[in-house]
Amino acid sequence: MTLGSGGSSVVVPRNFRLLEELERGEKGIGDGTVSYGMDDGDDIYMRSWTGTIIGPHNTVHEGRIYQLKLFCDKDYPEKPPSVRFHSRINMTCVNHETGVVEPKKFGLLANWQREYTMEDILTQLKKEMAAPHNRKLVQPPEGTYF
Amino acid sequence: MGGGDNSAATEEGSQANDGDGVTVNVRCSNGSKFSVQIKLDSTVQSFKALLASKCDIPADQQRLIYKGRILKDDQTLQSYGLEADHTVHLVCGFAPTPAPPPTTTTNAAGLNASGASNTTQTNARTVGSNEADALGGAGLGASLFPGLGLGGLGGSAGLFGAGLPDFEQVQQQLTQNPNIMREIMNMPAVQNLMNNPEIMRSLIMNNPQMRDIIDRNPELAHILNDPSTLRQTLEAARNPELMREMMRNTDRAMSNIESSPEGFNMLRRMYETVQEPFLNATTMAGNTGNDSANPFAALLGTQGGNQARDGSTNQSTPTSGTNANSPAPNTNPLPNPWSSAATGGAQTNTTRSNASADARPQAPVGLGGLGLPEFEGMFGAMQDGNILNQLMQNPAISQMMQSLLSNPQYMNQVLGLNPQLRSSLDSNSQLREMMQNPEFLRQLTSPETMQQLLTLQQSLLSQLSRPQSTQEPAQTGGGAGTLNNMGLEALMTMFGGLGAGSLAVPNRSDVPPEQLYATQLSQLQEMGFIDTQENIQALIATAGNVHAAVERLLGNSAQ
Repeated sequence: MTLGSGGSSVVVPRNFRLLEELERGEKGIGDGTVSYGMDDGDDIYMRSWTGTIIGPHNTVHEGRIYQLKLFCDKDYPEKPPSVRFHSRINMTCVNHETGVVEPKKFGLLANWQREYTMEDILTQLKKEMAAPHNRKLVQPPEGTYF
Repeated sequence: MGGGDNSAATEEGSQANDGDGVTVNVRCSNGSKFSVQIKLDSTVQSFKALLASKCDIPADQQRLIYKGRILKDDQTLQSYGLEADHTVHLVCGFAPTPAPPPTTTTNAAGLNASGASNTTQTNARTVGSNEADALGGAGLGASLFPGLGLGGLGGSAGLFGAGLPDFEQVQQQLTQNPNIMREIMNMPAVQNLMNNPEIMRSLIMNNPQMRDIIDRNPELAHILNDPSTLRQTLEAARNPELMREMMRNTDRAMSNIESSPEGFNMLRRMYETVQEPFLNATTMAGNTGNDSANPFAALLGTQGGNQARDGSTNQSTPTSGTNANSPAPNTNPLPNPWSSAATGGAQTNTTRSNASADARPQAPVGLGGLGLPEFEGMFGAMQDGNILNQLMQNPAISQMMQSLLSNPQYMNQVLGLNPQLRSSLDSNSQLREMMQNPEFLRQLTSPETMQQLLTLQQSLLSQLSRPQSTQEPAQTGGGAGTLNNMGLEALMTMFGGLGAGSLAVPNRSDVPPEQLYATQLSQLQEMGFIDTQENIQALIATAGNVHAAVERLLGNSAQ
């Protein structure tokens, strides 16, 4: 909300932007159905993040908790973060070997805009899980990791 | 909790600096939110206990997520950097899904057991899902492959997903309720659908993934052109008993093999050392001489060759003397309680032979019925070595074979099912003894024997391709003596009959609705709907969907 209005007119510097995201993640502001936070509170560049997606209802993912690693390099938010699943998952846009969310197959990363946030990525991934081509894919056992 | 209370408490908390606890927002997976007071130096476990009193989820099922991390019971909230007014996500750990989980979990357990061989498993898994996907209806095929945790149900549900995205809801239900699945399969409309090859074809071709697979493996297209193949697989999918039994067999066999030390490796080695040379040899079969059986045996070394002969002796036993070739058992009701086990196995193999993309389903399918996928594989190999390779590299196939053969009851059932064989057994008590001897059966199931079987099949293949030479190898292997050209044909028809016989089972589900909907009926009764007739009517009208039936019943009483 504040972010959206700010982002369109004023260019929010990287750190402010990430701090804002950090707060939203901690306080569950916004959509609130996904959770994310910084791995290392001491990293002043705030690069390494952990996100969690709770498997959406009425899909094979229901009841599962997927952990992801997001890495916001210094060119974030101009460039999208690299996103990688830590928990094993079978999804069309996720590399089966590495768990990397492949930008080519995931529209949000392919057509990245600086207003997009990590929360957007996570919620979009969650939607992707519920998409017809993903919702019924056979999943690896829970609790296994890439 | 009043809002005033909360804010007051928050202030207090922040003033007292953790002394009295802070307000933490908890957000449940269903979207509801509430706040609790907790000291930040308390453990996650005690936090969960507190949450348990605020919501319906018992502490041991709660999973808490904060900043993208899953909170561990023995850590303190502070260690995760939790502060006042922050939000913690609460998820119910073990979703209370009713019936299917047992199978799912056992499957998963099987997978875990094979942890060491993870990569192989993964490969097998991908292959498996592709094959199953390609078949669409071949849901049963899915559960052959260890990676497909959800097994048959998921796979067959995939059929609908193939072309009808609107069916998603239905699918979800299907995967959770085998009964519904069965009912749907029994619905005349669906049956018509299945009987119409054009529709099935378009369904499958609508799925880009599947089309891709078919493009890569033109053999699969033959399946699409053969409505009866499709129907057979669907028939299998219709019968939950078959499915359950099959999945159980697979699981058991899998765990058996994998629990034995080196078991999995052994299987893999076996396929690498035996199957690949075999494959090469098979494709070169045209160049080899009359006794092309021998080069194959040579691959296994002299000893292997000898054993192979023994194996073929064993193997030829059940076939000798079966001359008639009508697959009569179609209409015979299966006489004993093991019938579902037996047919379960047979069905499985029918499906599998489809998976091998054989263009000639008749004989090979039947052969698959006795758990000898290599047979149809051999035919398939002529057309596509890759598919056969995949098939053979898949440990699940061999496991399946083992599970089939390791069940004496099943073997008996196999024998009893086939009238020709039965009569030959009756006339030859020695044979019967042999078939009922657990030692012999165990021998059949040993890895060595499986190797031998491979060799036997190689020799059989050479006979197939070179009928004039059959006499010689048959005598080499023929302890029971009578395996000749005729015997070979009989063998095939016998197995064919077996496959066909098993397909008769789903047909017998034209049972009275009381029986058909027994489980749903009892469910309804437990819910308090005591009028059986009304229940049955509702179930018939809703094709066995309990939820729909309840709604209907309630609707009726309201009017």
